[in-house]
Amino acid sequence: MIISRRSLLKGAAATGTVTALARCSHARERSGALPEAVGMLYDSTRCIGCRACVTKCKEVNGLPFDRDASGIYDTPTDLSSTTKNIIKVFRNGDNHAFVKQQCMHCVDPACVSVCMMGALHKEGSGKRNYPTERKGTGIVLYDKGTCVGCRYCQIACPFNVPKFQWQEAFPVIAKCEMCWHRRDPSQGEPFAIANPACCEVCPREAVIFGMRASLLAEAKRRIVADPKRYNGRIYGEREGGGTQVLYLAPAGVSFKDLGMPDLPAESSAHFSESVSHAPYLYGITPVALYAAMAFVLRRRKKRDDRLQRGGETKR
Amino acid sequence: MTELEARGVSRRDFLKVCTLAAGAVGLPAWAGEMMADKAASSAKPPVIWLHFQECTGCSESLLRASAPDVAELILSLISLDYHETLMAAAGYQAERSLADSMERNDGKYLVIIEGAIPTKDGGVYCRAAGRTAIETAHKVTARAGAVLAIGSCASWGGIPSADPNPTGAVGASKIVTDRPIVNLPGCPANPYNLLGTVLQYATFGTLPALDELSRPKLAYARVIHEDCPRRPHFDAGRFAHKYGDEGHRAGYCLYKLGCKGPVTHANCSLNHFVDVPGAWPIGIGHPCVGCTEQKIAFRVPLHQTVDVDRPTAPSTYPPIHADHRVVEPLPVGIGSAIVGALAGAGYMATKKLTGNPKKHDPEE
Amino acid sequence: MIGYGEPQAIGGKLLARPMKTLLAIFAVSLGVMWYRFSAGLGPVSNMTDGFTWGIWEPVNVVVFTGIGAGAYGVGLLCYLLNKGRYHGLVRPAVLAGAICYSLGAASIVVALGRYWNSYWLGVPTLWNLSSALLEVAICVLTYVMVLWVEMLPSFLARISASPSARWKTFGKKWGGRLQQAMPYIIALAILLPTMHQSSLGGLLLIAGPKIHPLWHTALLPTLFLISCLSMGFGAVVVLITILKLTWNVEHDQRLLAEMSRVNAYLLIAFVVLRIGDITAGKLWYVGWDLISLLFFVELALFLTPALLFLSHRVKRSRGRLFGASLLAVAAGAVYRVDAYLSVYRPAPGWNYWPSIGEMTVTVGMAALGIAVFILISRMFPVLVVEETATGRPRASESAASR
Repeated sequence: MIISRRSLLKGAAATGTVTALARCSHARERSGALPEAVGMLYDSTRCIGCRACVTKCKEVNGLPFDRDASGIYDTPTDLSSTTKNIIKVFRNGDNHAFVKQQCMHCVDPACVSVCMMGALHKEGSGKRNYPTERKGTGIVLYDKGTCVGCRYCQIACPFNVPKFQWQEAFPVIAKCEMCWHRRDPSQGEPFAIANPACCEVCPREAVIFGMRASLLAEAKRRIVADPKRYNGRIYGEREGGGTQVLYLAPAGVSFKDLGMPDLPAESSAHFSESVSHAPYLYGITPVALYAAMAFVLRRRKKRDDRLQRGGETKR
Repeated sequence: MTELEARGVSRRDFLKVCTLAAGAVGLPAWAGEMMADKAASSAKPPVIWLHFQECTGCSESLLRASAPDVAELILSLISLDYHETLMAAAGYQAERSLADSMERNDGKYLVIIEGAIPTKDGGVYCRAAGRTAIETAHKVTARAGAVLAIGSCASWGGIPSADPNPTGAVGASKIVTDRPIVNLPGCPANPYNLLGTVLQYATFGTLPALDELSRPKLAYARVIHEDCPRRPHFDAGRFAHKYGDEGHRAGYCLYKLGCKGPVTHANCSLNHFVDVPGAWPIGIGHPCVGCTEQKIAFRVPLHQTVDVDRPTAPSTYPPIHADHRVVEPLPVGIGSAIVGALAGAGYMATKKLTGNPKKHDPEE
Repeated sequence: MIGYGEPQAIGGKLLARPMKTLLAIFAVSLGVMWYRFSAGLGPVSNMTDGFTWGIWEPVNVVVFTGIGAGAYGVGLLCYLLNKGRYHGLVRPAVLAGAICYSLGAASIVVALGRYWNSYWLGVPTLWNLSSALLEVAICVLTYVMVLWVEMLPSFLARISASPSARWKTFGKKWGGRLQQAMPYIIALAILLPTMHQSSLGGLLLIAGPKIHPLWHTALLPTLFLISCLSMGFGAVVVLITILKLTWNVEHDQRLLAEMSRVNAYLLIAFVVLRIGDITAGKLWYVGWDLISLLFFVELALFLTPALLFLSHRVKRSRGRLFGASLLAVAAGAVYRVDAYLSVYRPAPGWNYWPSIGEMTVTVGMAALGIAVFILISRMFPVLVVEETATGRPRASESAASR
């Protein structure tokens, strides 16, 4: 049983290549919010449902009006490839509460974890970043240049945010990108990072833009200042690993009523990657398995060949 | 009727005015006809119009018409026995008319109060004919058939009562407390609201149903926002941001310019003013200032936005979970048939194979 | 008859009636695919933002490759566990696998929204290594190539038997080289499916909030791996039985029963793992509702063939073994469709059933697969045909010209 030099070299080369490629498949640490994370705070108690944000979002993103199945202009009823931001209402008898829905810009996004080509990525951490992308802001951006349209992001997102252009022959995924393209350095931080139109246009300051840390503090301050007004929880503080868009709801209305899913503190990306990557052990397992099997099979083959040749040339 | 015809006013125009007036208080068209007939006869309801701390704007709104004959018409429907601005008499003669009318129409005359009543320092800040407004109010309303307070000033104090209210101005209902007063706030009040109320009283002897602030429900039950013609713009999120900007010129909603429509009870959005369609504040591009509301008018700054308080959200808002169902019977049928066929084929094949021991199923 | 019979081409008319029907079905689905590429995915399918993969991923990819996992299973038995008596099953299993995987890969291209960007998959610097779907994509694409390379000996054998001297030399030379490389290829052919078949289950890990807790578990990769092997073994038995009926291919009952016994242990392992997973804290999800019914139907579908495979009656009966194997395939298929579709709930308000266009493409792809199998089996030595009493194979008789 001699391991030939050739097979050893081959094995080593294979190991090196695959390990280099599989460098990132390690058991995952939990990621916290980035230091310069920006976000939005939506206070349902202040929202009057005027939908200025819905209209403005369409305007600044160049989105057409929604049309129903027969082509007639219709008001949007849900997020779609032409609606990146929407106001919905929860009704409970005579009471009602509004909720704004758009991309939550999660701290540990599932869509970023599953996107095959890294088309969905945190700003600055993509595979092909624009020169102006800054690392650390946590905005989830979309690069249609590498997107293959596999739509795994739609499966992964617990909020069902990414939407697909089903009626296009050359479709893209559409979702709120926090108006990153409207960033305005002349206004100073944080508007130099992004400048969401919805926050700019809201007449009641029901949705505001800022650094996530300050928004979280502001949300806590509001609850303490007027505890009877709110239901006591800040959605997005920890849900699904935390989101950069935070929500406050009126007293007596749960976040589930407003359509926000009940998520554990562990992000689904963390769960999925931990389970998937565990057997790979930094890529060692597949390489080792392959080397072992190739070794065994080759040895067997050599023995079979020897036996066959021996049988043929039997004296 | 003949004197009106003599002045060139046709019966048709006359009926039109009466119908409009009836409509203003929500009475059907036939009531307008009844009013016209009653008014055409000599039995015109007597009206005594008192002026206190006012600008006479409410009277002017009654008279200010694009068609001058209509103003005359209005005045022909009632017998205006005392009106300090419009009556021909002056001085002692005017006061004589007042006393005569009160005596002649005892218990039947209608009092319309225009203007707030000052209460500070014994009410000296408004005196006419040697009497304070408080005294006049008490005296004239004592034997009246019904009392109307026209305009915000008479309803709750209006401009004179704005901070710091140096004269202690209050609405008429704070002074005349022994009988119900119909308040018709507005600055100015809509003349057709007044006309309708007056004619209803004159024709049927009843007053319209009132809300908790004694305002006729049919004119003041809804807020401007509910019936505003620019409401679709609000609902679609289209707003004017500055006077003269693109949105303003396109006629978008004025909410962000401080429109008080959402909290102002009035029917201006339906009736407009001055008999000219579109001639009302929002119609000409200025946000509603809430002139009928005591808590809003002359208190909340003109361009400060207000909360929109809605008891139930309209059905135009999408629900939390939209309907995205796509299942239809035909594909379900076809798909089930395919799966069924596969299962059936598998079963049949198995049966055939098993049931034919010699040919297919040699047990080895 | 047990023995190492030599595989041979079935021969016969290539474009016989069944082939024509199958190709006609595929042509219809080609029309649907053309429409899909010109008008977009929406007009042709019922896929929506809620059920975004429709049936083209769960069925065309996951179920088809599960059926094609026979290549993986037989390869494991024959090569890794060195049970050479399975050798006769290798080529048909590998051909079925190659076809199923090619259909899966083709279906992915049809299902991808921005398919023209898929060339980026060849640029490793752009790979997002945390994505399970990337792993599936790379593995499946590589494995398709490996499977067809595994089929090369069969193609080269025919080329070697060509009357032309030049082709003969070509076939013999490359056939020899291929033989030398076989251990490395087979090792890949065992490693790759281990990775991606488990990842096909791993794809669902991230959709935790949307998949019913009775199905969503950290064991998903393991369960998918085990059930793919069951599906594969079952599919091989079904395939060989059908081939026996149509072309009198060698059908070794004892061998297939032995393989099915291995399958039985796999099925039982699956059931044990699932029940174990449920009893560890998810029991309260089981109740008198449709979801629980689905769960129990799945368990029954897995347990029944297991018990059947272990029974003596089934071991000795060709028909009963066939039926039990069908159940094993159905079990895996139902499990996959359940996990991807039946118990997947993105949010209230969404439902899904494939459109006629989607079903046409799936059926058309299946038809194409069968047609290609027939074509290659006729042209190249893939199948071992049973010999008659005269020692000559029955391949050229009317049964084969079907």
